[in-house]
Amino acid sequence: MIQGIDYAAIAPPLILAVAAIGLLLADAFDAPRRLLGLLSAGSLAAALIAVAALAPGDRRATFCLPDGLRSGGPRSCSYVADDFTLLFQGIVLAAAVVVVLLSLQEITDSDIPAGEYHFLILAAVIGALTLVAARDLVLLVVALETLSLPVFALVGLRRYDGTASEAALKLFLVSVVSAAVMLFGISLVYGATGAMHLDRVAPALERLPADLDPVAAAGIVLVLAGFAFKVAAVPFHFWAPDVYQGAPLPVAAFLSVVSKAAGFAGLAIVLALGFPAYAHIWGPVVGVLAAVTMTLGNLLALRQNTAIRLLAWSSVAQSGYMLAPLAVGDRRLPEAVAATTAYVALYAVMNLGAFAVVIGFNRRHGSVRTAYDTLDDYRGLARSSPAVAAALAFFLICLAGLPPGVMGLFAKIVVFRATVAGGVTWLAVVMAINTVIGLYYYLVWAARLFTAGSGARYDAAPGLPVRAAVAAAATAAVVLSIAPQIVLQTVTNAT
Amino acid sequence: MRTYFESYAVLGALLLVGGGIVAGGLAANRLLRPNRPTAEKLTTYECGVDPVGENWAHSYVRYYVFSYLYVVFAVDAVFLFPWATVFSAPGYGMTTLGEMFVFLGFLAAGLLYAGKKGVLSWV
Repeated sequence: MIQGIDYAAIAPPLILAVAAIGLLLADAFDAPRRLLGLLSAGSLAAALIAVAALAPGDRRATFCLPDGLRSGGPRSCSYVADDFTLLFQGIVLAAAVVVVLLSLQEITDSDIPAGEYHFLILAAVIGALTLVAARDLVLLVVALETLSLPVFALVGLRRYDGTASEAALKLFLVSVVSAAVMLFGISLVYGATGAMHLDRVAPALERLPADLDPVAAAGIVLVLAGFAFKVAAVPFHFWAPDVYQGAPLPVAAFLSVVSKAAGFAGLAIVLALGFPAYAHIWGPVVGVLAAVTMTLGNLLALRQNTAIRLLAWSSVAQSGYMLAPLAVGDRRLPEAVAATTAYVALYAVMNLGAFAVVIGFNRRHGSVRTAYDTLDDYRGLARSSPAVAAALAFFLICLAGLPPGVMGLFAKIVVFRATVAGGVTWLAVVMAINTVIGLYYYLVWAARLFTAGSGARYDAAPGLPVRAAVAAAATAAVVLSIAPQIVLQTVTNAT
Repeated sequence: MRTYFESYAVLGALLLVGGGIVAGGLAANRLLRPNRPTAEKLTTYECGVDPVGENWAHSYVRYYVFSYLYVVFAVDAVFLFPWATVFSAPGYGMTTLGEMFVFLGFLAAGLLYAGKKGVLSWV
């Protein structure tokens, strides 16, 4: 009666779990901060190697229903490590390594407890890894909460700082409300279908009696709302700017890349595997969400004059682009999921790059620590440190989607093509208009780098880890701009 | 569906009757009793002792850590009970025993961490 567990399939989260406990104990026994950072980054790299080792192998599934309980249905495995899962686990882990690199200096500067910080980061990454592998609703919710809970603490970890506490509280409240909404939705779906595993929910929804139809539809929309919070889509977006501003910047980078990538993976899994029968309901809802999210995000980003709030609003807008392909419903759904995945992967690289430069800049910003830095402080960066300015300009151009940054342009085209192919032309038009709005604020920031200098200086070295992170992101951006088809091929094979 | 909601009518009647008894008793009391308040009579009743201090009192915030630790162990101990009923049954055996000790190991790591951080020492 003991359930066999495929330890190879769950190796990536397992490695991190053991490392996280080890880290916590090492910190309790006063291990030096340097060792903790090394252990944290090392375990993430080990998990990344495990993902790479799993990638060429077959699809692995574990925690399946035992034969006695299956009653002739599908295999119903809770944890599946297929190509889609491994691709997202790779993205999450690579981004997490960069976030840890960015954190090392911040931990020293802001007097953040190092052991707890690394432990919480690892715990959140475990949640993200499990979320992208989850194929039943219970595991999805548990993983989503494992991803969310440590982040509240991470945001508030800079103690005696009013903005950080406010940000943590705001994130907590919004998250709890959206989790409750999502759980309610899941309970409705479960009530209507009698199944928790997505491979059982999908057929049950197809042959649902007519009187249960509104129940299932309401449940599905509520589940959608839960994920909308995670990816900062519009009705649940307002936590983003305040939290990004109040949180330690590496945590903001984590929220805008790792947490968002996991959220999109979860959304794609639920919609494509669980609810394809109700695509006529969630398709238009996602379409409207996407249109409103990108428009509002872009319009408000126009009015920001601090770097971090601009990045926050622009990442809300980018969520809209990522949502857009899913609006096609069940027409050419695999293609749409591939487009969203490709956009998430490319966005992770360029956004992390931009965050890395801003983190380095923020630290160097004079002797007085400010909570954020204005865009005007970036004037003349090209003269004082040309390499960093070039990197930042390139990331911004990629985010805007202009030709030298082929990566961003390519991501936008993939999303456009999927949306038009799925017959949601109005959304493609909204997206085109929004891309133009986006061009403006990214380019205004990029142009400031090359104007005459202000007082702020970026002269001192931003620390080796931050510099390594900027260099890694810039290299990845350049490589992907030269050969963007790498991502598309990987994604098409995986989905 | 009709009979389903009708069954709630009994509940409604019960609420009305219950409320009526309490309200009627209080109203009768009020009509019958003499009412001569003095300053002494209006002070808060505290078992015959004169009340001390304001109504806003501090409690020691340090206790919250203990209650957290208690909640962790109380909730996690729940998992021990179903395990205890099956682990010696045929088909389980040493692996099941080992798994529970892994779980307990995780809990112990938490306690060890809390202890090393000085949470358990009383000041």
